[in-house]
Amino acid sequence: MTCTLGEVKNRADFIVYWGGNPAECHPRHFTKYTLMQKSRFLPRGRKDRTMVLVDIRETKSVKAADVFLQVRPGKDFELITILRAMIKDQPISDAQLAETGLTREQLQDFVTRMKAAKFGVFFFGMGLSMTRGKHMNSAALLTLAAELNAFTKFVAMPMRGHGNVTGADVIMRWQTGYPFGISFNRGYPRYNPGEFSTVDVLVRGDTDCNFIIGADPGATMPKPAIEHLASVPTIVLDPHVTHTSKLARVHITTAPAGISAPGTAYRMDEIPMPLRPALESPYPSDEEVVRRIKETILKKPDWMGERPQMLTSQVG
Amino acid sequence: MDLKVIDNATCTFCGCVCDDIQLHADENRIHQAKKACVLGKAWFLNHTAERKYPDALIDGHEATLDEAIEAAADHLYKADMPLVYGMSNTTCEAQRECVEMADHLGGLLDSHTSL
Repeated sequence: MTCTLGEVKNRADFIVYWGGNPAECHPRHFTKYTLMQKSRFLPRGRKDRTMVLVDIRETKSVKAADVFLQVRPGKDFELITILRAMIKDQPISDAQLAETGLTREQLQDFVTRMKAAKFGVFFFGMGLSMTRGKHMNSAALLTLAAELNAFTKFVAMPMRGHGNVTGADVIMRWQTGYPFGISFNRGYPRYNPGEFSTVDVLVRGDTDCNFIIGADPGATMPKPAIEHLASVPTIVLDPHVTHTSKLARVHITTAPAGISAPGTAYRMDEIPMPLRPALESPYPSDEEVVRRIKETILKKPDWMGERPQMLTSQVG
Repeated sequence: MDLKVIDNATCTFCGCVCDDIQLHADENRIHQAKKACVLGKAWFLNHTAERKYPDALIDGHEATLDEAIEAAADHLYKADMPLVYGMSNTTCEAQRECVEMADHLGGLLDSHTSL
């Protein structure tokens, strides 16, 4: 249950950031979409909106918030579950409350504000989705947003970082039916994060060749994963010679997307934006290089034989 | 010197994908990124059109693009379990090619989302 940032800008009078620091990581989110904009429905802009920040520590985003709820680290799931109970007036014990590090008054005030909102929105960051509980935390927050719709309009949206990572989800969903963590090794797409997700695959040493594009796992992944990247042939496409390039057997320099390569990128609310490159690059685009590698592979005999359900037969 | 002005340019640094940036650029680099935030300014101003790196590297040695494409295709084709990973700082058009390539390879396909 989500919406576009345009709807947030025009209608949302109650904004919750959960486990994120937009003031430093998405600096224009407040001014462009969520807090400062005036609209037909919120003519006084910031004065017509309430912002709540839920996080484990005080960040620069606290200054922008009307209410700051400091949850105990790793207790997001418990807090969301308590809120789900409280909106339905179910009893909560003091011991359960104490676990979250927040008081009954704080949570009752939060619940009252959520129910009184005309249009509420949860923006959740990696502080929620990448800490203890992981995707179960996101699922719990989405459930809370869904259940709040018994009282008022409420939506939830992840705060995506890393440029076009939203586009990657969208393209994979469009082509395979799944957003990430996909295996084609039976000839059709299968989805199983934990089994097919990259960190797990690399730490276990499952792959015997890695093709890395628009990412630098050599700088961010755990040590066993990096050691595996160096131990098998790795191919890197990047505008810079990265940490991963230095471990790789093949590095190809490509034009940076949006600066010298044209194309499309998705905003976090899944709105596609055309790129307007300003510079001519001496390097080819990612698109051209991947297409050429793919075409070179296609000239070789297909190891799997006849495949009637190839994606190419669906989207040419 | 006259700078080329590009209105409504799109910044792909973070998930906001702001599409109202005004870029002032010459042939080599972007001098100004108006309306962009600190992160966006750094993103636009730190990339140039110079040939800063070799076209390609194979085993640490400089190589041509054609050689590197051949080598990459060979490694991927020979592998039993190739992985196609990343796709964050790139375009949807390139992502689509990646999906098709992973499908042909019978390999794994994953993005930053799974981290």
